[in-house]
Amino acid sequence: MEEAAAAEVVVVVTPGEVLGKASQVRAGRGAYVAPHNNLVYASLTGFRRTLSPPPNSPDQRPTVEVTGHKAHGAVPEPGSVVIARVTRVTARMASADIMCVGPKSVREKFTGSIRQQDVRATEIDKVDMHLSFRPGDIIRAVVLSLGDARAYYLSTAKNELGVVSVESTAGETMVPISWTEMQCPLTGQIEQRKVAKVGG
Amino acid sequence: MENKPTSSPTSFVDQSVVPGDVVLDLSNMTNQTLKLGGGLRQDCDAISVMKAGKLRFSNPNKYWVESSQKRYVPHAGDSVLGIVVDSKADNFLVDIKGPGLAFLPVLAFEGGTRRNIPKFEIGTLLYVRVVKANPGMNPELSCTDASGKAAEFGQLKDGYMFESSTGLSRMLLSSPTCPVLDALGKKLSFETAVGLNGRVWVNASSPSTVIVVANAIMNSESLSGVQQRIMVEKLIQNLKLST
Repeated sequence: MEEAAAAEVVVVVTPGEVLGKASQVRAGRGAYVAPHNNLVYASLTGFRRTLSPPPNSPDQRPTVEVTGHKAHGAVPEPGSVVIARVTRVTARMASADIMCVGPKSVREKFTGSIRQQDVRATEIDKVDMHLSFRPGDIIRAVVLSLGDARAYYLSTAKNELGVVSVESTAGETMVPISWTEMQCPLTGQIEQRKVAKVGG
Repeated sequence: MENKPTSSPTSFVDQSVVPGDVVLDLSNMTNQTLKLGGGLRQDCDAISVMKAGKLRFSNPNKYWVESSQKRYVPHAGDSVLGIVVDSKADNFLVDIKGPGLAFLPVLAFEGGTRRNIPKFEIGTLLYVRVVKANPGMNPELSCTDASGKAAEFGQLKDGYMFESSTGLSRMLLSSPTCPVLDALGKKLSFETAVGLNGRVWVNASSPSTVIVVANAIMNSESLSGVQQRIMVEKLIQNLKLST
C-alpha cells in the first residue's frame, strides 16, 4: 500500500491505491494526480513500475506507471487510423464497430460514429449517407475524438480514408472504379460509396 | 430449371409464375438488352423469378412480376397512408406498414418553419409521399410533392380507413378509372385516398354511404370489371331500399 523503495520491485496495485506524492513522483500511464491533496493514485489494475527520469530534463522526479498484468488490446486514440465495419446508416450519421487500431486488432468492442459532416472534405452539407456507406462495409477512418459516452467520433475526410472492402448482393468482393463507385465483378452492378484510395 | 425447347419470351408473359421459374434465356434472345423490374433476377444467362405473381412485359424490353401482398415494401415516390406513432424533436415517427417506422421531418410541409410545426397526435392518419427508401435505413416521408407544394398531402380528417392488399391499391389507382370506383361514383358522392401500402380511406356525408363504398372496394379485388359493376348495382339498390 505504501510506495516501494526500489525501482525494480513489481507490486500489484488496484485503482485508488496511493502510489506516492506528486512532489516526489510523476504520474505515468495508469496513474493520475489528485488535485486536492497532490497524491498520485493508480487508475488501473496492474503492476506498478517506476521509470527513472531522463538525465537532462529539469524535472528529476521518477515516473510511476501501472501496466496491465495481461497485455492490453489496442485502444483507439485521437489521431489513430482504425479499420471498422459499418453497422447502421441513418440520414445524419453512420455507426461502425472498430475492429483494428493501426496494425493491431482490438480485444473489446469499440463503437465509432461518422457524422454527415465528417464523411468527406468537400460539399459536406450535400452528403448522402446512403451513397457513402452501407451496413457491412469495411472502412478505414481516423479517430477525431473520444466522442460521447456511446461512440468515438470518426472521420473519413481524406483521400486514403473511406470504404476499403465491400461485398455485393451477389456475394463477390466489389472492385473500386472511381472514388465514388464500386462495381461487382460478377453481375456488373455499380454501387456508390465513398471509396478509399488504396496503394501508391 | 430447363426452359421449354421452343422457348420464346412471350410464353411466360401474363402468366402466373413462382419463385425458381426461369422465364427468359438470354442466349436464345435476339435483343439482349433488357430492363428487369421487381421480382426478377439475373443468374448469368437465365432470368429467374424471385416473387410469385404474374409476369408482365412492356415494349420494348421491360419485364417485371406483379403480385399482391398485404406487406408493403417502401419505394421512393410512392404515396401512402401512414399513422403517426410518435413525435420526436425533428421527426414524426409514422407507421406505413413497412419493415420499420418511417420518419416524417417536422419541416416537410408547405410553408413549414420552426414556428408553425403541426401538432399531430398519436393515431393521426396522414397521406404522405415516400421520399427515400433505402434498404436498411428507415424511410423518409414528406407531406409535399417534389416541387414543394402541399398537393393534397397531409392529415385526413373524419372518414374511415381500412387495410387491404397492395394489389387492390394498384387496381384502384389504375387509369382508366377502375370499374368499381366508376360505378360507385356515378350514383354516390364520396371522396377516397388510396395508399400504395394497402390502406384506403373513404369519406362521405353519411355513414351508410361510407359503409357501402368501403364494402364495395373491399370485395372488388378478385372480381372482373363486369362483376364489379353488378356488385355495385346490388349494393346501391340495398342502400336505396333501406333509406
